[in-house]
Amino acid sequence: MNKKILIAFLLVTLPTFAADSQWVLKQSTLTYHVSHPLHESEGVSHAARGKGVCHNGQCDFLIAVTVKSFDSGDSNRDLHMVQVTRGAEFPIVTVRTRLPESAASSATINADLEIQFAGQTAQYKKVPFKVETQGGETHITGTIPATLTDFKIDPPSLLTMPVKNEIPVRVDMTWRSQ
Amino acid sequence: MGVLTGRVVDSSGNPVANATVTVTSVDNGQARSATTGTDGSYRFDDLPLGNYRMKLEAAGFQTLEILSATVDGTKPVVVDEKLQASAPTTTKPNLEQQDNLPNAPSSSTAPSLSDLGLTTEQTQGNPREQALLDKRTHMLKIHQRMGLITTIPLIATVVTSLNAGGKSEGTASRDLHVALGAVTGDLYGITAYYAIRAPRIPGTKKRGPIKFHEAMAWIHGPGMILTPILGAMAFSQKNNGEKVHGIAQAHGPVAIVTAGAFGAALLSVSVKF
Repeated sequence: MNKKILIAFLLVTLPTFAADSQWVLKQSTLTYHVSHPLHESEGVSHAARGKGVCHNGQCDFLIAVTVKSFDSGDSNRDLHMVQVTRGAEFPIVTVRTRLPESAASSATINADLEIQFAGQTAQYKKVPFKVETQGGETHITGTIPATLTDFKIDPPSLLTMPVKNEIPVRVDMTWRSQ
Repeated sequence: MGVLTGRVVDSSGNPVANATVTVTSVDNGQARSATTGTDGSYRFDDLPLGNYRMKLEAAGFQTLEILSATVDGTKPVVVDEKLQASAPTTTKPNLEQQDNLPNAPSSSTAPSLSDLGLTTEQTQGNPREQALLDKRTHMLKIHQRMGLITTIPLIATVVTSLNAGGKSEGTASRDLHVALGAVTGDLYGITAYYAIRAPRIPGTKKRGPIKFHEAMAWIHGPGMILTPILGAMAFSQKNNGEKVHGIAQAHGPVAIVTAGAFGAALLSVSVKF
């Protein structure tokens, strides 16, 4: 009888201690948006790299992208962006988050993000992302409500007028489980 | 308010860049983080007075926790620390393998930057380049402001030209036009100096409106030299009671093209069109 209970216990608990799974970022588009009284501009990067490691039902994700990889279509503006964000000194933006393994099967997730950028760390709680899973790939979209003050960045100005503090970052990523 | 600063080094005394230093107030639990620069230094300004717990984390090093650091506001608190390298793990591939295989699964622990296949060149800061960028931005800001200031006498010079070339015997309007033109020329020279002397950043390919902005400079630059020369000739002919003739007749058209190119250059980097 005791053996049966033990086997039943093992069968129930085995999935919990199953082999670790991992996620790899296959494609990404990160877009920051800057508003200035005279015009709006966006910078886009497709160069993010990411990985998620799952253990005991929890997945730790790390996404990294170089500051210089953002392209706004204007080299002068991009250089200015790298300067104000101290992108030569702190060349990488990292985003860390921990999500339950089951999040991939949800329609939306609310992620707590820790972002290192411009030599500062900022935390964003419950950032909503839309999740779509198709053919073994998980597509995630959402917007991180970043601001310049979160990272102690002096707002750059054009014709003596500073840009707005809000710099929302649109996230569009495709992950594949391994 | 007080300041807490310090430097993080490895066991050999080399600076540890990109280490995360977190200070948590013992009194209210509020936390702030900073990342060390390439020289391993970090700094927290405007910290409320009190006791803080500190946590120092860096990839490849053991996390160090300091249970108490007191910020009393009388002088900056300096906390210099040494991090010990993490014990090597058997499941983690070495850096060489990771370079060849970006995004390769490595271990069951939280992923690190090296797991993503990023090279040292990509992750390490370059203070020299940052200094170059800072200088460039500083000079271009002055360029931009001087350009705006130059616009005022430039417009005034164009406006006063309407009377300066007339048939009146008086020279007052002509003198005013010359004086404004001289001010415009001087301010333009300063504006141009800050653009020309701003450092170039190696490896940058020019894209976007800046190309048009610079193309316009090839028109208004020579124009700003030619216009006063032709103006001086026209001024001399007028003062001699002659009708403006010869090449001096080009003073007006050249000035208009120059002012137009200057305005277009200004607008090209100001307004999206």
